Amino acid sequence: MSASSLPIIPALSQRRGIPRLVIGFTLLIPALAFLVVFLILPSLLLLSYSVLTQPQSGDIGLPFTLASYERLLFSPAYRRVVILTLRVAFFTSLFTFMLAYPLAMVVAYGRPLFSRVTMILVVAPLVVSVLVRTYGWQLILGNSRTGVLNWLLEALGTGPTPVRVLYTEWATVIASVHVFLPLMVLPLAASLGRINPSLNEAARMLGAPAWRAFVRITLPLSVPGLIAGLTIVFSLTAASYVTPQMLGGNRGTMLGVLLEQQVTTAFDWPMAAAIATVMVAIALSANVGVGWLFERRMAARLRRSGAA
Amino acid sequence: MANRLSGGGGLLTYLLAAAILLFVLAPLVVVVALSFSEANLAIFPPLGFTLSWYEGVITNEEFQRSFMISVILALSATFAAFVLGVPAAYALNRWDVPSARTIEALLLSPFILPILITGLALLQFMAMMRMRDAAMNLFVGHVLVTLPYLVRTVTASLKQVDRSLEEAALTLGASPWRVFWRITVPQIIPGIAAGCLFAFMVSFDDFPISLWLADAQTMPLPIFLQNSMTKIFDPSIAAMSSLMILTGIFAVIGLEKLVGLRRAMSI
Repeated sequence: MSASSLPIIPALSQRRGIPRLVIGFTLLIPALAFLVVFLILPSLLLLSYSVLTQPQSGDIGLPFTLASYERLLFSPAYRRVVILTLRVAFFTSLFTFMLAYPLAMVVAYGRPLFSRVTMILVVAPLVVSVLVRTYGWQLILGNSRTGVLNWLLEALGTGPTPVRVLYTEWATVIASVHVFLPLMVLPLAASLGRINPSLNEAARMLGAPAWRAFVRITLPLSVPGLIAGLTIVFSLTAASYVTPQMLGGNRGTMLGVLLEQQVTTAFDWPMAAAIATVMVAIALSANVGVGWLFERRMAARLRRSGAA
Repeated sequence: MANRLSGGGGLLTYLLAAAILLFVLAPLVVVVALSFSEANLAIFPPLGFTLSWYEGVITNEEFQRSFMISVILALSATFAAFVLGVPAAYALNRWDVPSARTIEALLLSPFILPILITGLALLQFMAMMRMRDAAMNLFVGHVLVTLPYLVRTVTASLKQVDRSLEEAALTLGASPWRVFWRITVPQIIPGIAAGCLFAFMVSFDDFPISLWLADAQTMPLPIFLQNSMTKIFDPSIAAMSSLMILTGIFAVIGLEKLVGLRRAMSI
């Protein structure tokens, strides 16, 4: 859809004397000004702190230094947090994809009733605070017999040793999968819904078994939704705070938690700014990188089909 | 309809989906179940049935205060996002603004920037500008996170408007102002309403912005809840959480009634 495909409106509004450009920008300026003042400027300011020095007196200023980045990326304690953050984001994206696919299939192709119910149950948690959902996981994963999971395992008679998941990175992964699942199901279902049914029909009529039609037609054609979902889940997990803070414990500290500690207990603004910059870089590269991979793939496919 | 789920593969998909929905519901069900427990600790399994935790929460003045702060904050942030976002989305989609795609990306950038960072940047900026009014700072922060939701839903609704109706009205001599009110607005109202509802919930549930900008006097509900979680271990936390789940359920019903969930989620 392009905004410039309407030749009639310009002609008419020129008759009224106010240039279209003036009207357009007048409507835009309040929102743009708000964003520039309260988002763009503060963000640039924060990011710039990452290369400044904070002396004992506390006044942040010159000279420029990369010391904070050096500490964050090369000292073992901090580097561990960076790597753990990427690992948690990776496994969360992977498991979210695996759990989202069947749900998206039901939303897109299920009987109307099942599709509707699934849709409601998938979306409902999205409007429940992350805090509440994470609290639910705290109750489920509790390390003693009073956690729901261990209570269940004991009731099923699987031995006396309680499972200890809480306060590890895996608790964060489990809860993050739960928190971000809707954000993977929605684009996937949208993508699946756009697939032309006759493609599948043709494959089946030509003798392909159902699983093969799925692997060769449905799965590849759902890649756009998959890409959108993976991007958003990866970048949001890498930037999360509540879930690792409540479930990860000391060993599961992620960048968001480290950031909060640097600001509220260490008062180390350059270090906090460096962490923030790395988090922004992870989010941006997830967005740009995945899109780039996808475009390259599409280009390759177009070349192939053009040659055939 | 070969895309429909059928046969063994279809059954398997349904079963898998049902199992995954159990996983989706489990933490919410556990929270609600424990909120009725008579035990003094929020531990499983719940014992007996009581509403006293709800009574305790609802009559708690600090809870009432935080709840009111959250409602007022969410309402005012949604209103501001509406005032800023609707004209901006309209300009981008109808008034041939140059480099509209770049501007749209800028308007949606709060989606890409981690919210935790947005909040921290704002905290630092407000400190530098000597803006110490926590309520005002929270308001600005919440407008930042709700604005992109309005821009996105209004843009999506504008794209679904039948343009030939607008063209017809213009050719028949109606002014752009009149066309906007008589033709465009009636068609995008459900979308705007859905966007506002979404914005309200995002603000009401927000944690990563309020984490930085709240103070002891101005504590939105999620911050109050998190503070209580570190001090209190009885089921009143579960009761508070259940009340928040209830708010969410109302929001989903509202979305379904207003525009249908599928459209609200742009499927």
